Amino acid sequence: MIARETQNFHGIELEVLRGGAGHPILVLHGMHPLTPAAPFLTRLASLGAVTAPSFPGFGDSPKPKDFETVFDIVHLTRAILDAAGGPVTLVGLSFGGWIAAEVAAQGHPNIGRLVLADPLGIKIGGPEDADIFDIYNNSPADTRAATFHDPERFGPDFDEMDDSDIIRYARDRDALCLYSWNPYLYNPQLPRWLGRIAVPTLVCWGESDGIVTPDYGRAYAKLIQGARFATIAGAGHCPEIERPDDLAALIAAFVGG
Amino acid sequence: MQLWFHNENTYPFVPEKILAEADSVRATLPGRLLDPKIAADLFHECMDESLLCDDVGINIVSIEHHSGINSLYGASPIVLGALARQTRNVRILSQGTLISLRKDPVRVAEEYATADVMLRGRLDIGFVKSGDSEMVSNNANPVGNLERFWEAIDLIRKALSNVDGPTRWEGKHFAHRSINLWPRPYQTPHPPMWTATGDPDTSRELGRRGMINSVVLRGIDGTKRAWGAYREARAEAGLPEPALDRFAYCGFVYVGDTDEEGVAIGSKLLWFLNTSLKQAPQFSKFLPGRMPPEMAPQVYRTRPKPGEARIARPADGLIGMTAEQAIQRQIMFAGNPDTVTKQIMAAYDTLGGFGHLIFVGRSGYLTHAEAEKSIKLLAKEVLPRVREETRARER
Repeated sequence: MIARETQNFHGIELEVLRGGAGHPILVLHGMHPLTPAAPFLTRLASLGAVTAPSFPGFGDSPKPKDFETVFDIVHLTRAILDAAGGPVTLVGLSFGGWIAAEVAAQGHPNIGRLVLADPLGIKIGGPEDADIFDIYNNSPADTRAATFHDPERFGPDFDEMDDSDIIRYARDRDALCLYSWNPYLYNPQLPRWLGRIAVPTLVCWGESDGIVTPDYGRAYAKLIQGARFATIAGAGHCPEIERPDDLAALIAAFVGG
Repeated sequence: MQLWFHNENTYPFVPEKILAEADSVRATLPGRLLDPKIAADLFHECMDESLLCDDVGINIVSIEHHSGINSLYGASPIVLGALARQTRNVRILSQGTLISLRKDPVRVAEEYATADVMLRGRLDIGFVKSGDSEMVSNNANPVGNLERFWEAIDLIRKALSNVDGPTRWEGKHFAHRSINLWPRPYQTPHPPMWTATGDPDTSRELGRRGMINSVVLRGIDGTKRAWGAYREARAEAGLPEPALDRFAYCGFVYVGDTDEEGVAIGSKLLWFLNTSLKQAPQFSKFLPGRMPPEMAPQVYRTRPKPGEARIARPADGLIGMTAEQAIQRQIMFAGNPDTVTKQIMAAYDTLGGFGHLIFVGRSGYLTHAEAEKSIKLLAKEVLPRVREETRARER
């Protein structure tokens, strides 16, 4: 059972999903926060005590005035880790994977293990290579196709969604755009520092990810010393949505091993 | 009453089939669809139309749009520079460099100061909020656009007004530690400043600042809303009533020898609405930051829920308009000189007057010769009568 709460970190109020007990697992969301009904969170809650905050501007979390950069989010995440009280398994999905990688590269005593699922945040190719599929410049249909292995089943259907869900969806898009328009979803300096990540790391990738391909994922994993790399069949950019059991099983094995 | 010629320098010569099949006629049409030789002719024709305006006493608007058939004036300061050297008499309104797309407003101020000096003080500066495909074409974050817009205006105003040696600006979006323009502008403290908007909130801020509010192709109702907000905000702030020279109305205008000719040729101007506004959904309704998320349900859905109003951008209401509808909505004035004079004065009276009329006088397949004919008739037959009638009303 996942509950929606609000919690204050360094004076910033966040929507936080919580569930389960035991080993703490902190989940940093992707382009859209998960909902309490997300099977992925339920699976994780059977492994430990899950905390999944929504970053400012995402979901129902307000955005403080002038809180507008990835730098702000990284510091906020450090405040969230400070409050954890002990080592957690830090799980970063897509955009949240970028944040998790930044914080892990800086180092934080409360990161015990790191899981990155289809993380963004670095550029691998040259100036003419679109490493990260552009969700703003491409058509909604192409973006759906790039995002999901099965876009018909998992892509958003605005005609069927409730008003409140569409409003949250639009808030998420505005927030992501604010934080990541330029450079587009990456920090040019991050590859230099990924080698400083000193905790056991698992990098998971949806085999059908068209936002950032598995090859990008392999290159990402290579920059982190000792990182394991695993792909997930039948999943695109959001394995937590399309293959929640498989992603949770990979995490369970990683935490258990 | 000041009359201003507005010409976007459109490029209609892409095959209809390609335009019909493209999801966007801005931002994404391949450059190979443009013939540079035709573009060169267009630039020279449009410049000649501006020089004709200079001869007959009609002011000129120099505009900016990017990467589409709707306008070839992406490098707007270059066009302004050419006009600055080649005209001798009338005022030029740059409306304008799209400031929230530019990285350094101080450089924009430098361009404007240079143009104003070349023009010996004949420059007006107009700001446009921009948006949609322009953000993508210029790699400008659509979220925070409005904040950047106002900060850029503040910085440009400061840069143009400063005459006391290096000064600094370290704002939220722009930082420039040594600002010291040479040349400073010809006009002191700076050229008149305008903004094109039909958004009442933006108009309110213009009212408080006393800037000129032009409203482009929004018709009577949209213009009334904007100017009403302008006047209201000034009253609330305890500021004096604005003079009519704070308001500019903009519509399509074509003057022919007869009503039939005016309407027939004038209807070609509607190409701008009917063909050149099409934008892909990722540049329009799904572009982040362009509307409050609370409006998303009415915008994102392909079909409205029962009882739900559909929200579209203002331009969407203009697509598919006929000449008769455009004239009826007072977005277009077309006919013989007498008819056009009456149409202009009817809009003037309905709106409680305005000090400037900006007219879109060429667009789409309307030819250079046709544009020049209308400009001449406007200057000779319409403008004197409109001035006489507006003076009579002011008395």
